[in-house]
Amino acid sequence: MTYGKKQNAFVALDDINFTIPTGASVAILGKSGSGKSTLMHAMSGLDRPEQGQVIIDGQDILTLKEKQIDKFRASKIGFIFQSFFVQANETVSDNVSLPLEIADVSWSERKKKIHAALESVDLIEKIGNKAKNLSGGQKQRLAVARAIVNEPQIIFADEPTGNLDSVTGEKVEDMLFGYNRENGVTLIIVTHDPDLASKCDIQINIKDGRVESIRNTKAVPLQPIKKVQL
Amino acid sequence: MKYIDTIKRAGRSLKNAKARTLLTSLAIGVGAFTITLSLAAGEGGKSYTDSIVNANTSRTELLVTQKQPETSQGPQEYNPTAVSGAAGAGSSAQIAFLSQANLDTIGKLDHVKSVTPNYSPSVRYITSEDDKKFVVDAIAAFSPSVTGTYAAGSVDGGLSNTEIIIPEEYSKALGFSNPSDAIGKTVSLRADKLSSPVTAPESELFNYTVKAVSSKSGLAFRTQTSIQLSADSSRELYTYINEGTRAYGNFLLAAVEIDDASKANDVKSALEGKGFEAQTAEDLLGTVNTFINVLLGIVIGFGALAVLTSVFGIINTQYISVLERTQQIGLMKALGMRRRDVGRLFKLEAAWIGFLGGAIGAGLAVIAGTIANPFISEALDLGEISLLSFNPLAVAGVVIGLMLVAVASGILPARKASKLDPIEALRTE
Repeated sequence: MTYGKKQNAFVALDDINFTIPTGASVAILGKSGSGKSTLMHAMSGLDRPEQGQVIIDGQDILTLKEKQIDKFRASKIGFIFQSFFVQANETVSDNVSLPLEIADVSWSERKKKIHAALESVDLIEKIGNKAKNLSGGQKQRLAVARAIVNEPQIIFADEPTGNLDSVTGEKVEDMLFGYNRENGVTLIIVTHDPDLASKCDIQINIKDGRVESIRNTKAVPLQPIKKVQL
Repeated sequence: MKYIDTIKRAGRSLKNAKARTLLTSLAIGVGAFTITLSLAAGEGGKSYTDSIVNANTSRTELLVTQKQPETSQGPQEYNPTAVSGAAGAGSSAQIAFLSQANLDTIGKLDHVKSVTPNYSPSVRYITSEDDKKFVVDAIAAFSPSVTGTYAAGSVDGGLSNTEIIIPEEYSKALGFSNPSDAIGKTVSLRADKLSSPVTAPESELFNYTVKAVSSKSGLAFRTQTSIQLSADSSRELYTYINEGTRAYGNFLLAAVEIDDASKANDVKSALEGKGFEAQTAEDLLGTVNTFINVLLGIVIGFGALAVLTSVFGIINTQYISVLERTQQIGLMKALGMRRRDVGRLFKLEAAWIGFLGGAIGAGLAVIAGTIANPFISEALDLGEISLLSFNPLAVAGVVIGLMLVAVASGILPARKASKLDPIEALRTE
């Protein structure tokens, strides 16, 4: 993966080749500066490298136009970030509603989906509260609800427990893995925490922009449809 | 993203920054206040001048004079159609009068319904049963199309040839305790026959029944001081006084009644083509209107200046808002919100600010104007007329206009927001 133009060009990721089966949980493991976040950005269509391919459902998303990539992210991807990025001044309900609004989901559908998502993260009684009144763990659960509300195919979680203590962190982890197992949603976690990584089916170790090792602990018997080639 | 969702999100963002939103709106509100009041004053001013027109003349009436000879230095060349100033004006200048032939010419023009010369007979005095005599300033012919205000009596049925309208002041002077006492009473005008020999002067007393007493109005110039008779009665008086003199049959002024007010300017140019000078109702009030318009232009200019200032306020506020909400914008873009929608969100926020400012300013203007109206009317002696008249459409127009201005001011910050790179925006460290 090359960034910048001509003499300014630099290679952030190089010779990265792997395939992720649908429904797997994957940890992208590496130290800070290893390029793991850059890899996630490229895989989720947030970033557009100069060279390489990211094939999802047989479609190279790097060849899509901006409008189509936006639509792809809105309909198929869920994001969870280390610092939550919940909107403090908005209510819990409005926070979860955002991806549905972006994806143009109808009113009646929206209400049902928001309720379902909040039920599954155990925040339904907080539906009318402002997000700023939630605790850290609750905020991240809210972020999980926001990520799953539109029933994505892939969830990207960037250090989802990095800002949480171990107890609340574990609760969020359980929710993510539970959702991954029950709904067959591909879960891709970017982390530097080996404990969290060990809970995933596949661990991809990144070092200096290259794949150091790939371990498939569970040997999931699923057809490979997600392929990253950079 | 649906428009309505974007509008709601924009509204919520502003609600989260109440103080800033309000202060920015207030700047635009000052402009809205000034512009709304100016428009109201313009509207009110227009109806005020309209009332003046209707109280003094009519839009279907033109005042016509003969084209006056040009005056130059030195002795004037003799003009056979003009009457030397000695005949009336008391100066050496020659004044051109309208002859009966002229009136006939005017009467034949298109759209002209009737031509009434201004008889303005000069009588010696007016008197009533208690025998007090008063000098008469002017006698005018009653015109049904002129809206008068009356202290007593009514002229809805017109004025017959034996009836008279007297001003309130005369009614008092002639010994009537209040205006309604005068109604139905007889007053008399003493007229001198000018052609009678000095050695055997002739004069006659003409009797009329008081039909109405005209009251003072802040609008009327004419009805206040004039005694009014029907056109026929004025002619009768005029004929009695002037018949046999050189001035007889020559008029300084004639009123031309036309069938369609919108044709006033056509008739005017036709008259000018025939060598007359004509003034329409609009001409009479042209100067008043020009004055009002200039004043309004200045006030609206100040309002526009306030709006211009607020434009920079909005741009500044929105730029700060974009900076503050970098993460939020990044998140929305990461979740797949399109550039266009992000830009629209910020433009709609600006629109909300414009709407708030416009509504606050225009609302305050309406409230202040409504409270101030009676005081202004009293101070300027306008009677029933409100100087500030608020047209709901104009007020809505101001608010919508300011919303558009606000949206335009929001374009640059909105572009900055839409171009934000989500990866940069979401970088935590």
